[in-house]
Amino acid sequence: MKANRGKALRGLLAAAGLAMAGYGIHGLLTMTRATNPPQAARWLIGGILVHDLVAFPVTAAVGLVLTRFVRAPYRAVVQGALLVSATVALASLPLWRGYGGSPDNPTVNPLPYGRNLAIVLGAVWAGAAALIVVRAVRAWRARRVSGPAGPTGSAESAGTVGSAPEPS
Amino acid sequence: MPSGRFPHPPAFPRRGPLREGAFPSRLHDPRVAALLGIWLGIAFGVCFLTGLVSHFMQHPPSFLDWPSRPVWLYRATQGLHVATGLATVPLLLAKLWTVYPRLWEWPPVRSAAHALERLTIVPLIAGAVFQLATGIANTAQWYRFRFFFTVTHYWVAWMTVGALLVHVAVKLAVVRANVGSGRAGRAHLTDRRSAPEPAGEGLSRRGLGVAVGTAAGVITLTTAGQFVPGLARLDLLAPRRPDLGPQGLPVNRTAAAARVITVARDPNYRLEVVGPRPFTLSLAELRAFDHHTSKLPITCVEGWAADATWRGPRLRDLLDAAGIPPGATVRVESLESRGGYRASEVNPPHARDPLTLLATGLNGAVLDLDHGYPARLIAPNRPGVLQTKWVHRVVML
Ligand code: HEM
Repeated sequence: MKANRGKALRGLLAAAGLAMAGYGIHGLLTMTRATNPPQAARWLIGGILVHDLVAFPVTAAVGLVLTRFVRAPYRAVVQGALLVSATVALASLPLWRGYGGSPDNPTVNPLPYGRNLAIVLGAVWAGAAALIVVRAVRAWRARRVSGPAGPTGSAESAGTVGSAPEPS
Repeated sequence: MPSGRFPHPPAFPRRGPLREGAFPSRLHDPRVAALLGIWLGIAFGVCFLTGLVSHFMQHPPSFLDWPSRPVWLYRATQGLHVATGLATVPLLLAKLWTVYPRLWEWPPVRSAAHALERLTIVPLIAGAVFQLATGIANTAQWYRFRFFFTVTHYWVAWMTVGALLVHVAVKLAVVRANVGSGRAGRAHLTDRRSAPEPAGEGLSRRGLGVAVGTAAGVITLTTAGQFVPGLARLDLLAPRRPDLGPQGLPVNRTAAAARVITVARDPNYRLEVVGPRPFTLSLAELRAFDHHTSKLPITCVEGWAADATWRGPRLRDLLDAAGIPPGATVRVESLESRGGYRASEVNPPHARDPLTLLATGLNGAVLDLDHGYPARLIAPNRPGVLQTKWVHRVVML
């Protein structure tokens, strides 16, 4: 009884989704003067390819390099700070790269974005550095208590990456 | 599960990423995917609904009359739309990280239903990445794409959210078996169950959540100032600062871009109001008309909003003088000779609102040419593209 209701609900959801997606694709293929389907398709497929063939492998490669050069429990902090830095930079990419806007309208993209990004990422890495110091002190104390052979960073202590640092 | 299973393929092509255990990160986990998925679903839901509000405000169907109040409504919905989209960047990338090994799952297709399910992932990822990328490019006015942004963004939204609903229907069992306090009792729903987190030295699952939340927080904190009053000082990475521009206000379309510099400065300018008792006003007569002050924001589709103090005749007083009845819709026309935004329609709720002005002054001075000199429409709860500038005609429809 209950399982059947769940199945019906999921079927309904999927049917509604297919109808909506079909409506969207139909719109894309009808208003061709505005949507320019070959161009739109290039950007749609391009997004997948850039993610699957560039963004993911590069992230994985960076992760691999980190395993060689940064020890636990500091590696998690560095990974977290890199994630924050990369996504903040990506979300503002046209601004600090100087793309967009028009010369006759200085009110579009009016700020010194390169400097601002440096300030924001500086704050992020200052937060990360503070966390690393906290972890180093904790590891040092743990070593003093349990002797030189004691455990350093456990999976547990690698788990937290701190809270949002304020940009100055 | 459907019974029409395909035969198992031979094992020899299982190399590289197709290998068993090719992706060692402990973050590739159904519970992490489900939790990030729930947040993504909320974010895309907010973007879709606020996007529809914006779309239908600009293209109202005949049965719908948007209210002119509350004044802040469009500022809130469109600001939220852009802010949510920006905060989704880390969320989407983290989600795709957790599920990436599924791209290389073996065998690639198990049944016709499985093939169909995998196929609907294509419009989902393509659409999600597309919406964020084109949205970010558009707010920076970086027009690298050769399609018209608003129309394409609108249709891709339907495609993406449709694919998202299919995705939720398909993954509901995995979500229920991995999320919620009673999840242990629902473990039988799927074989995709979260494995206990293995010990490791890198980012843990909780750490990933904290990092994604931090990234979303930093992005919001450094961009929300473009539409939230009082946060302008934190506005470091947004394409607009609400207090930067002529007369302390940003401009979207300059007089030069609209090619109206000469006509707008013409001393023989006349404002024409066309109704049952049509009349025209010279510049001096327009300035002598009964003036009022309105504090209203410009609320741009690009997600920024800026408060300003406007002065000028009330639109409804001008309409009354021309004998235009209270139930009539009017069209406000710009001096621009072409372009999609050279005229806008004003429905009765906005046309009759006492705050709606044909402004000739801004923040204590004569309206700047780039803000629409000699006169512009300013009405509450209305997208900025419909606040027509360089107005020279008001026509009853
Ligand atoms: C824009 C939004 C989203 C995108 C782009 C996205 C993307 C993906 C992709 C590419 C996969 C792998 C497909 C596969 O397993 O064959 C996946 C799996 C999954 N997604 Fe999503 N998703 C989104 C939203 C959601 C939402 C809203 C939910 C739940 C409410 C969700 C829950 C899941 C679950 C449970 C899995 C399975 C993970 C596993 O089996 O390991 N996703 N998602």
